[in-house]
Amino acid sequence: MDDLTEMLKGTLEGCVLHIIGSEETYGYAITRQLNELGFTDVIEGTVYTILLRLERNGLVQVTKRPSGVGPPRKFYALNDAGREELAKFWAKWQYLSSRIDKLKEGGR
Amino acid sequence: MSFWEKATGSDLTREWRAFEARAEALPHDHRAAWGQIIAHLFPYGDFTGRNLMPILDDALGLLEGAAADGRSVHDVLGDDIRDFCAALAGGEGARTCHDRWREQVNRNVARKLSRLGG
Repeated sequence: MDDLTEMLKGTLEGCVLHIIGSEETYGYAITRQLNELGFTDVIEGTVYTILLRLERNGLVQVTKRPSGVGPPRKFYALNDAGREELAKFWAKWQYLSSRIDKLKEGGR
Repeated sequence: MSFWEKATGSDLTREWRAFEARAEALPHDHRAAWGQIIAHLFPYGDFTGRNLMPILDDALGLLEGAAADGRSVHDVLGDDIRDFCAALAGGEGARTCHDRWREQVNRNVARKLSRLGG
């Protein structure tokens, strides 16, 4: 689906948190996973700025590992604060999506 | 950072040289993107530009990784390098010279006004 970017903006951070939460991983792999999920508009640069923000907010643990080619890659894993943030994200998402579904179905 | 480095910025010069050497090794397109990133990040710099160094280091690492994987600049950064740079610098909470000047003006004006008002 095209042109999802605007709508995704606020939720992408939660998606990235979730992906990091399931296994330690790096920027390009996260981007590919989002692309495969159907978010084809998402580029590595975007994921990268999210990762930097997560790092600055102290939600992830970063390890530099040598890669086969090029410079060492930064691998990301959630720390306790990150796991807490992820739980909050899903709670907010649940609330938001249930409200919007309700609106669509015409309930109050 | 030693006092000498702080006073002379000698460590910054050294870091710049290291950045330049790394950028030299990039393919043409990636090097061009690096130039644009510097230009777009520049306004976010503080007086010495020291706050930009870690951001630039990260951005250069991203370009190096992309080049090593054989991915194009467009694949990695999309159409809008300016937007990318704003996002890079934005979360930083780094205050630029402009912020400080604006604050100073605001403060001065407020002080004068309150004096006038008694």
